[in-house]
Amino acid sequence: MLNLNKNTLFSILVLCCASSLFAQQPIPAKPQAKPILLLNGTAHLGDGKVIANAAIGFENGRLSLVADATTIRLDKSKFEIIDCSGKQIYPGFIAPNTTLGLVEVEAIRATLDNAETGSLNPNVRSIISYNTDSKVTPTVRSNGILTAQIVPQGGMLSGQSSVVMLDAWNWEDAAYKTDDGVHLNWPRMVFARGGGPEAEDAQRQAQEKGIQKLRALFNEAQAYAQSKPEEVNLRLQAMSELFASGVNQQRLFVHCDDAREIVSAVKFADDFGMKIILVGGADAWKVADLLKSKNIPVILGRLHALPMREDEQVDQFYQLPARLKQAGVLFCLGVDGFWQVRNLPFMAGTAATYGLTKEEALASITSSTAKILGLDARLGTLEVDKDATLFVSSGDALDMRSNQLSMAFIQGRKIDLNNIQTDLNQRYRNKYGLK
Amino acid sequence: MNFCKNSLLLLVLFACSFLGACAQDTYPVNGVADQKHVAFVFTNARIYIDYKTRIDTAMLVVREGKIEAVGKALKVPVDAVMIDLKGKFVYPSFIDVYADCGMPEARKARVGEDGYPQFLSNTRGAYNWNQAIRPETDAYKLFSNDDKKADELRKLGFGAALTHQKDGIARGTGVFVVLSDEKENKCILKDRASAHYSFEKGSSTQDYPSSLMGSIALLRQTYYDARWYQQASTNPLDAEYNISLDAFNKEQSLPQVFEVCDKYAVLRADRLAKEFGVQYIIKGNGDEYQRVQEIAATKMPLILPVNFPASFDMEDIYDGAQPTLGEMKHWELASYNPWYLQQAGVPFAFTTSDLKDKKDFIKNVRKAIEHGLTEEQALRALTETPAALLLMQNQVGALRPGMVANFTISTKPIFDKDNILMENWVAGKQFIINDTEPKDLRGIYEFHVASLPVLKASITGELNDPKLLLDDDTAKAKGSISRNGKFMNISFELMRREPKGILRLSSDPDRMGSLSGKAQLPDGTWVPWNAVKVSELVAEAKKDTVKKVKETPGDVTFPNRAYGWHTKPTAESILIKNATVWTNEQEGILQNTDVYISGGKIVKVGKDLASSPELKVALAAGKTRMLDGTGKHLAAGIIDEHSHIAITRGVNEGTQAVTSEVRIGDVVTADDINIYRALSGGVTSAHLLHGSSNPIGGQTQLIKLRWGLTPEQMKFEQWPGFIKFALGENVKQSNWGDKQTSRFPQTRMGVEQVFVDAFIRAKEYEQTWKKYEGSKGKGVILAPRRDLELDALVEILNNKRFITCHSYVQSEINMLMHVSDSLGFKVNTFTHILEGYKVADKMKAHGVGASTFADWWAYKNEVMEAIPYNAAILHDEGVLVAINSDDPEMGRRLNQEAAKAVKYGGVTEEEAWKFVTLNPAKLLHIDSRVGSIKAGKDADLVLWSDNPLSIYAKALTTLVDGVVYFDIDQDIKLREEIKSEKARLTRLMLDAKKNGDKTQKAGVSFEELYKCDTMLKNY
Repeated sequence: MLNLNKNTLFSILVLCCASSLFAQQPIPAKPQAKPILLLNGTAHLGDGKVIANAAIGFENGRLSLVADATTIRLDKSKFEIIDCSGKQIYPGFIAPNTTLGLVEVEAIRATLDNAETGSLNPNVRSIISYNTDSKVTPTVRSNGILTAQIVPQGGMLSGQSSVVMLDAWNWEDAAYKTDDGVHLNWPRMVFARGGGPEAEDAQRQAQEKGIQKLRALFNEAQAYAQSKPEEVNLRLQAMSELFASGVNQQRLFVHCDDAREIVSAVKFADDFGMKIILVGGADAWKVADLLKSKNIPVILGRLHALPMREDEQVDQFYQLPARLKQAGVLFCLGVDGFWQVRNLPFMAGTAATYGLTKEEALASITSSTAKILGLDARLGTLEVDKDATLFVSSGDALDMRSNQLSMAFIQGRKIDLNNIQTDLNQRYRNKYGLK
Repeated sequence: MNFCKNSLLLLVLFACSFLGACAQDTYPVNGVADQKHVAFVFTNARIYIDYKTRIDTAMLVVREGKIEAVGKALKVPVDAVMIDLKGKFVYPSFIDVYADCGMPEARKARVGEDGYPQFLSNTRGAYNWNQAIRPETDAYKLFSNDDKKADELRKLGFGAALTHQKDGIARGTGVFVVLSDEKENKCILKDRASAHYSFEKGSSTQDYPSSLMGSIALLRQTYYDARWYQQASTNPLDAEYNISLDAFNKEQSLPQVFEVCDKYAVLRADRLAKEFGVQYIIKGNGDEYQRVQEIAATKMPLILPVNFPASFDMEDIYDGAQPTLGEMKHWELASYNPWYLQQAGVPFAFTTSDLKDKKDFIKNVRKAIEHGLTEEQALRALTETPAALLLMQNQVGALRPGMVANFTISTKPIFDKDNILMENWVAGKQFIINDTEPKDLRGIYEFHVASLPVLKASITGELNDPKLLLDDDTAKAKGSISRNGKFMNISFELMRREPKGILRLSSDPDRMGSLSGKAQLPDGTWVPWNAVKVSELVAEAKKDTVKKVKETPGDVTFPNRAYGWHTKPTAESILIKNATVWTNEQEGILQNTDVYISGGKIVKVGKDLASSPELKVALAAGKTRMLDGTGKHLAAGIIDEHSHIAITRGVNEGTQAVTSEVRIGDVVTADDINIYRALSGGVTSAHLLHGSSNPIGGQTQLIKLRWGLTPEQMKFEQWPGFIKFALGENVKQSNWGDKQTSRFPQTRMGVEQVFVDAFIRAKEYEQTWKKYEGSKGKGVILAPRRDLELDALVEILNNKRFITCHSYVQSEINMLMHVSDSLGFKVNTFTHILEGYKVADKMKAHGVGASTFADWWAYKNEVMEAIPYNAAILHDEGVLVAINSDDPEMGRRLNQEAAKAVKYGGVTEEEAWKFVTLNPAKLLHIDSRVGSIKAGKDADLVLWSDNPLSIYAKALTTLVDGVVYFDIDQDIKLREEIKSEKARLTRLMLDAKKNGDKTQKAGVSFEELYKCDTMLKNY
């Protein structure tokens, strides 16, 4: 099995890099020219269903057929057929809440475009900084992550995120859903001990002032949204759609972990009638009933994290998905960071080890994410008419033992799975004469 | 209070106006001489002549500051002032051995004061190179009587104190003084009474040391330097002149007092004491009960603070979720600390040091007494023990003829709740603390104020701090009561009846007890009043005694925090049956196999062991238990080659380019929850490394994760010892900000030179010693100075210490191999080694191993060509490969990180598994003991629920030396126990708040997580 992979990998390399063996950066794929049929793989649809001998067809970038190959009759002649026997087919994984393309080298300031100065920047937009030529992105998508929500950081209101496809010539090309939400870092309400009475007072004041400042700004923004004033205020304008109604209403992503912060944020959003999504939510299990009753979904932080508190159970984060599932709260999994996002599938694997079924775990990085980000009309599951954004792995893609992609498609475009790391691997294997 | 101020003022005025007239002998007299030689005779007292001997109806004769006689039926001198102490108690005054009264305050250095490095001491003169070594500081020269502080202590019953400047690592000498208001010349009883040490650098602005291990290394080196200097002083031309080392040597004969900040530091100081054959008196921190057995074994006496922590305010459930069980347990158990030490036979003295409010001192000692400490021991800890520790037992701490007349007069036994300290005599001088013995006024009264209707009120509270409670039915008013010297002020605020306003009453001084005097009505009219006691506070008093009934506190656990053991675990005999066994030996992965462990070792591996005669006997005797491994995987415990868990107070001593003298082994802590967390991920050993902020870092420490045992007991036995080297951006301070541009090196060129220079110096040093050892003058001529930094490098040159080197890019990897080849040493391991794949052939040729990350990259410039295929390429090229964590989170998922070598580069599962078990064992030279499953090896094993490389695998049971340190079912029970124990303590804290105890706001104190590249923390 492994040998087969190596060989395929090698042939792909040779094919792609005919002129110079080591391309700097994979070339974005051309639009789907011909209908493709993935035949006889095991298809994990993302909504809990699994089809053992699947026929997955797509044309013009959209899925046209999702069926059990043993029960249908098809006209194979119109497709380019790819045999997927013994392989696993998944909808492309979606990474929410990442700085992919905003950060290239964490320690080099010149490469950082993730956090604007100042604390209230609802008007800045991540899509503008999103670098489609990042060397990091190809290393992420080769593990099955094909779509990502690019989120600005820093301050209280850090700006607006956009959802991008991870194969594009430029940010306009990459944009999948532009300005999909405003991001709010809720003021820390956890009290830090040990600074003496003055420091304690300062802490309390800073916290109160932070929330007062937010409330004032949101009041103004609400008034601004209703009045359509002649003089433009970029900040308030950027927040207008938070107060819209129906499908036009923009999402407010509130980042916080502590139970008190969550409860306060929910109340705050309620006062303004805003649609919020909780991001982080380490303590979400404590207030799950509140989240459920208010229909607030959660984008969980990295599951591969230590408990926030010394006394908490070792597998605190590992068990969080199962706890929320049981409480009926809609959630998905995230990996804050950029290069680290390539491990998103294994967060889902961990969720499956600690209480979810494997298909539920898969949903937490596909269909649930799409639902929470409002992409579910076109993304997140293998369903007819949805985008043909999917991949084929030789084994269980949620386990690092067997996550091995042989091909991946974004809107039907077959993308190049090489990256700087596979290139360097090959370069030095050649040097040493290794297989 | 007011009275005290007044009398203090009078005393001060008195002292000032006659300054020179009644003070010291050598001073000229302004006016007429005022020498007094009269005796004071105290009669009818109950006298404690020492902590355990009381004589009733006894007499005490004091003359000229000393005790002339004490006992029954003594002859009264003719020139005596007679003082009748009928019903009173006389005690030797207390001694505080850890005071700083009369000392100038050491200016506290702010960390990174100006942001620029300071390599050498700022102190001018022929002093030590390091500013924190200041043994030349003599407290007796600095002592300037501060009567405010002395008075504060006198009011608590103290009559003498050892005071010193609490600043630095070697702090100089302490001075023993009586707590009088006399001129300094009359206060000093002993000039050089003690020598002081700590691990804190204090006001030093110098960079080195920045870590605890640096402090320890500095003190260790100072001991060697001082000894060398002592020898050198006979050959002055051979050495240098050094005021500090000279002073250090001269104060070795004094009692040596060492201040530490936690229980493990007691053990650290003990290791130092044993190394240099010295005896320390330890100034502790109050948490010694947590390791009382080991501390008792050191035989070192302690000086204990009684600054018991305030309870957390738990009313808010969100804040209440933040304090840890460990902190809550310490709140409950801190006041039991003296009892635990008493039980263990550890001698100790009390100090008022560390108390925020010194007035809490007696109250807290009383609390310790309520919690098991005997009154006799408490008194001993304040008199005989401190005196003996300072070799002053012939002068203070007891009341025997010839001793200093330091004693107190009180109304009740000294630790009694209702005791009033009346007088404190210091060196024969009377200090009045309370000049009136307050009558116990507590009771229910009717107040008759002129023609007003009767007011009913009760006087409650402490004897010395009464409270006024008004009877709501009659008064509908608020009231207060306070003492003003001999007057008692009472006020009523009348709200619902005439005359509305505040009614003020003052009791006459000569009528104390009967409560009557003058009052002023709200309109200003003066009227007489009196109050009649109608009954006692029976109900209240009863309630008080009920409250005092001692509750049994929670157990001290090992460690004393969440997931700690109630009793330390022991090795078991276990037959693990029918598992898939990953042997890491030639046999490979065996199906349906049994493994028998006993006595901490693997005894047998094979099929159906239960039917072997040996096992049949053991199983029948019930001494061996069975563990069903069906469907499960048994593997050797994971060994993390690169970890920073279980290290306290600094992972880096990055203040110099070469710090091979510092040792992680000095700063291991057993309390890090990450030890338990790592066990839950199947880790059994961890190699604790110094950080990577300098080219030659500190010596490392390998531990086994024996959760619950002490730092020393966790250390891996008989292990050769390693040292951390580092290359690249961290050591050239690339990401430390714009100010850190002066410490050498700043480039990779400079890094090479640091190594070349260090090893050339080491070789010369070795030669110097060899020459000395072989010379005829050995023992006569001056021996070379022992240099701990170079000692460690010489060990490397002699293959007695091995290198693990933090490294990233190919050029620097290549460089170090060249340097080592040219200077005759070997690099054992390159750790991180993310570009190792680029020089795999050279590494193979050098024979160096690689310990790498599975997939980290992009966090800084030097890792931009790091690839997850690194491990596979190195392995395929024949280099010995391990995968490490450098991170407590990843440290408990190393099985998954190993699996990434299967994903990236197609390493076989069996080989990938060795990356986190057998291979790190080989790299660490411990593969004869651990790393595989083979008879005779240590029973460091993990039973996994699934293939250990799978994301779906959980560690079910983790054994170290055959001891189950983690078990997934036991873990569930522990969680329940933590929950109920926290609930119990929360209840107690809520009660404490209701009872009016001081509280602190509950909040979080963030855990320190150590990771190599977090520059803020200098890893």
